[in-house]
Amino acid sequence: MDFTRKPITTLVLNVLVAICALVLAFPLLWIVMMSLKDQNEVMAWPPTFLFTPTLENFRVLFDVAQAGATSYGTIKVDFLTPIINSVVVSLGSVVVSLIVGVPAGYVLARREVPFKEDIAFFILGFRFAPVLLVVIPLFNLFQSMGLYDTYFGMIWVYQVITLPMIVWLSRSYVEDIPKDIEEAAAIDGAKPVRVVFHIVLPLLKPGLIGASLLVFLLAWHNFALGLMLSSTKAPVTVALLKLLNPGVQFYPVMAAGLVVTMIVPVILIVFGQRHLERGLTFGAVK
Amino acid sequence: MTSHVSKVVSLRSEAPSAPTFQAAETENAERKVDWVSLLVIAPAILILLGFLALFFYGVYQSLTDMRLGRPVVRFVGFANYIALMKTSDFWNSVRVTVVYALSTVFIEALIGLAIAKLFATGVTLARWLRPFILLPLVLPPMSVALMWTTMMNPQSGILNYFFSLVGMGPFSWISSPTTALISIILIDVWTYTPFFALIIFAGLQGITDDLREAARINGARSWATFINIELPLVAPYILIAAVFRLIESFNQFDIIFGTTQGGPGNSTSALSVQAYISAFQNLTFGRGAAMMVVNWLIVLIGATLMVRAWQAVRRRVN
Repeated sequence: MDFTRKPITTLVLNVLVAICALVLAFPLLWIVMMSLKDQNEVMAWPPTFLFTPTLENFRVLFDVAQAGATSYGTIKVDFLTPIINSVVVSLGSVVVSLIVGVPAGYVLARREVPFKEDIAFFILGFRFAPVLLVVIPLFNLFQSMGLYDTYFGMIWVYQVITLPMIVWLSRSYVEDIPKDIEEAAAIDGAKPVRVVFHIVLPLLKPGLIGASLLVFLLAWHNFALGLMLSSTKAPVTVALLKLLNPGVQFYPVMAAGLVVTMIVPVILIVFGQRHLERGLTFGAVK
Repeated sequence: MTSHVSKVVSLRSEAPSAPTFQAAETENAERKVDWVSLLVIAPAILILLGFLALFFYGVYQSLTDMRLGRPVVRFVGFANYIALMKTSDFWNSVRVTVVYALSTVFIEALIGLAIAKLFATGVTLARWLRPFILLPLVLPPMSVALMWTTMMNPQSGILNYFFSLVGMGPFSWISSPTTALISIILIDVWTYTPFFALIIFAGLQGITDDLREAARINGARSWATFINIELPLVAPYILIAAVFRLIESFNQFDIIFGTTQGGPGNSTSALSVQAYISAFQNLTFGRGAAMMVVNWLIVLIGATLMVRAWQAVRRRVN
């Protein structure tokens, strides 16, 4: 803003922003600290802010062979398989959505198709799909089709989340590319396919990378689909909940698990803040 | 292919922009249909239509007495719904769902507006720390739920420690029926207030400084400028964000399931959580589907009212 503020006002505003950021970041900091403590320190009152960090909790999380013998007694966790599951299903969903969704997004942005606006609206509507109402019939269907607890089935189901997002985002990114560029190329005699591959796609690349990051994130977040449609192929979010056994509170190990699930998204913020902002508010703000 | 496409339209005939069927048919015949384009969007639409079909199958299941392991599934009409309406648990779930959604959206809109205003001032720290706003939104909701579960632990949780420093508490947070609902609302507020902040921030960026300057020169104080000029201009942004959040709050599953699983007692048993328990723990799929249909109807009513409000506000602003 152009008009000047009193120095005291600026100071107050800065302090308020700092408080805001602290409220947003503190829970994460606390969990990271917790993941580096041992069980006694975590249960201590008052909570300790100074302690000798240990990586024991992460070892318990990943060391399948040794998992029985911990300082917490017997606890058996296999966190590596769920992570692999989540990565496979999330990456698979992104790839399938890109292959199916990006061409659709391009067509919805540039070509004349009957009922174009209605199709676009229909696709946007999936952001509000009552997932549970889709999953309840799907559970029986998956059992009878042999798709229950398979990567193939999971990737297919995840399309209900990832595909509409990719179509919508790639459409909005295509609309951002000036139409003149394509028209100029067409006048120069380039065929439509050539225009798409040599002119549109390179311009679209940064947008598509951002969209893929966001959609990967959404797939990584998912909990309900994995909970109901898989057991051995369950994603990391389902495995997390299992770490919180009622009665036995292995908070430090769970905190370590939380840190693992949160590292991925936090890294994504660093790489694609702008794209994430656009994606997270998609549909509400262009 | 066109038959699939036209099905999409007939499903939402209430859409204001939808051309009437007859007109569209003749328009089609006149214009050369772009087959390549249709072929390109076909896979995406087919996949999504598959999910739509599943949705309708789910609605059908709510009209049956389906249970796991029961060989014959009978059509029972509205028996599931009638049975549900006779239980006080069901009405409690409806109450929890509505209270949760409305209070989270209302609180988040207010705080989100404040945060957006704060970061729009453009002070040094606001420019540096803006990525922090994204933080809660990029974390898996299940991780958020478990993170707060540990912090809200009545014995060793950090929240009770902070409150004890100012002589308050200890509170039992999610472990007591009286405070559980408020606690999960608090978690939702921490997680999704940034969503409002981001969208309102975008709205505030759209207001030119000229407009503010003009108001200031005319002698308006900053508070008056905010109420009379900024607020009406960002109101459509607030309302569209509210539409999105309202729908998602009505469907909220992860945060409630990760913290309380509907308990203690039935103090936080929102319809989505209760439907999961009916379908996958009690294995009464028909009953669970019926609850989700009720939940979906609540979403529909809520969203329609919000969209109306948004359209009205936008018309007034324009």
